[in-house]
Amino acid sequence: MWSARRARPVRPERRLVPTRQHRLPYVLHPDRTPGDEQPAVTIKNLVKRYGSLLAVDDVSFSIQEGEIFGIIGPNGAGKTTTVECISGLRIPDSGSISVYGLSPQHDRGSIREFVGVQLQESALPPRLRVGEALELFASFYPTPLDPQEVLESLGIKNIERTAFKNLSGGQKQRVSIALALVGNPRIAILDELTTGLDPEARRGTWALIERMRERGVTVILVTHFMDEAETLCDRLALIDHGGLRALDTPEAIAAQAGGNRVRFIPSHPVDDEALYAVHGVQAVERKERYVTVTGTGDLAASLIDSLAAMGVKVSELEARRGNLDDAFIMLTRENASMVPEEDRA
Amino acid sequence: MIPNSGGVRSRRSRAQLAALLKVQAKLSLREPYALGVGVGLPVVLLVVFGLISKNVPGNVGGTGLTVIDLYIPVIMVISFIGIAISLPNTLVRDRELGWLRRLSTTPVHPSQLLGAQLVVDLVLAAAAIVTAIVGGTLIFGAPLTVDIPFFILSVALAIVEIFSLGLVVVALVRTQATASVVSGVLFFALLFLSGLWLQPDVIGGPVQVIMLYSPSGAAVRALLYSMFGQAPPVTILVALVGYTLVFAFVAVRYFRWE
Repeated sequence: MWSARRARPVRPERRLVPTRQHRLPYVLHPDRTPGDEQPAVTIKNLVKRYGSLLAVDDVSFSIQEGEIFGIIGPNGAGKTTTVECISGLRIPDSGSISVYGLSPQHDRGSIREFVGVQLQESALPPRLRVGEALELFASFYPTPLDPQEVLESLGIKNIERTAFKNLSGGQKQRVSIALALVGNPRIAILDELTTGLDPEARRGTWALIERMRERGVTVILVTHFMDEAETLCDRLALIDHGGLRALDTPEAIAAQAGGNRVRFIPSHPVDDEALYAVHGVQAVERKERYVTVTGTGDLAASLIDSLAAMGVKVSELEARRGNLDDAFIMLTRENASMVPEEDRA
Repeated sequence: MIPNSGGVRSRRSRAQLAALLKVQAKLSLREPYALGVGVGLPVVLLVVFGLISKNVPGNVGGTGLTVIDLYIPVIMVISFIGIAISLPNTLVRDRELGWLRRLSTTPVHPSQLLGAQLVVDLVLAAAAIVTAIVGGTLIFGAPLTVDIPFFILSVALAIVEIFSLGLVVVALVRTQATASVVSGVLFFALLFLSGLWLQPDVIGGPVQVIMLYSPSGAAVRALLYSMFGQAPPVTILVALVGYTLVFAFVAVRYFRWE
């Protein structure tokens, strides 16, 4: 579905046998195993101020080649500033950033060749047509993708001749993504890419990011949607008030913050002490005959085992895994030191 | 590979420039402003003053020139003003939209877009010059005796001066709304000073002097002299060079891409 336009011209005789094999050369690392590549981006002790406001405060992390790396956090947390430092749009006050060994500040010219950027707020001239914008951007890069194929894969081939001002919000967003991809980047930085999209368009955009993963593109995704981060990202950095609060896989961050919950009716009365003794249990609440236990790890399994050992059976069992939403709220609340007592238990 | 890489790079930058030129040209043709005011208005004015000139032949304000003689340089300068004034409308908007910032994340710097836009505008200006001269002489019979070296000098100074003034607005004004107000006011002020409604020789007095040495008036004078086989007065040329330097300095000093 994607092909490099100038770097790898498809010779006519090859076009006669359009098998899937021919797509393969365009996949950068067809047999990569996530996790053991060299870092594509390394950030060390990044600090950026706007006047007296400390936007990014001593943030360090690295992004592996080929992974989808999410940067999550509340509004104004410093997410956009961080990625703008990576793309060279902003100059850090201190700390270092390396993008494949290059400095965004000093080697900005080289970095712009292989980093595709989608900016949070950026529009096209109103009378510029979608196809023209893509052709224009394709001409900027050494080995661009075919604009026609990019439009097709984004499902916006039908608006190729439409002026930017006549597009809907979702279409504009797709065009913005198309522009970030048409240069065939090794790293794509996508800032708030599904904000303002309807649910269907969001799903479509997610599918697109998945396809970028298949092509081996390293994706840096800034978002404040937890479901998006959970669905797409290999790893996440949670940033709040300019500082890094968590850095792990979405599952690990969700688990680390607790929030797994099990509710059941025991066949015989059970003491709180017996329940707290079960591995991972953090809190026990009772309401009528129901017992609700919250904590970390595989809570339901360890509870059932322990209760069975005591000769207690459970009925109306209901388990809910703690999700990233819970973790996000806990981690960002902790920072504001407004955590109620029971949440600390 | 290394000896060749310079060649590859320059070939690519030519391709980038060509693509930018194509897009800016298309956009300029779709925007009513540059084409309408830069080329359309001069054609209308040419017809109007040409017809007036046919009915009122003779000597305007004791200058020895007919109406169309006097107005050919005015029409040329008006088209330069129209094109220059469309610069803020385009570039301030592109900057406000974040388009210039978006470009700066690609291998192309937004200055290349500005360059392409200026090339397109020069082509429009050239079209307006040809229209004014060909229309004025062939259709309305203005007896031009162009002093070519001075004419080229005057045209070059007039275009650089007026385009620089347009870029001053781009540099100093932040929002599109302000840009359209400022450039609108500037447009009519420059049109008045160029002598569109009243020729300086007809007005006389201090206003005449102001008009003669104003940014648009001086440009008109320099063109007028060189189109009738005379060297423009040194004071006029000095004024033009001075304006050009000041405008260019301010534009470069305060220009912002974001």
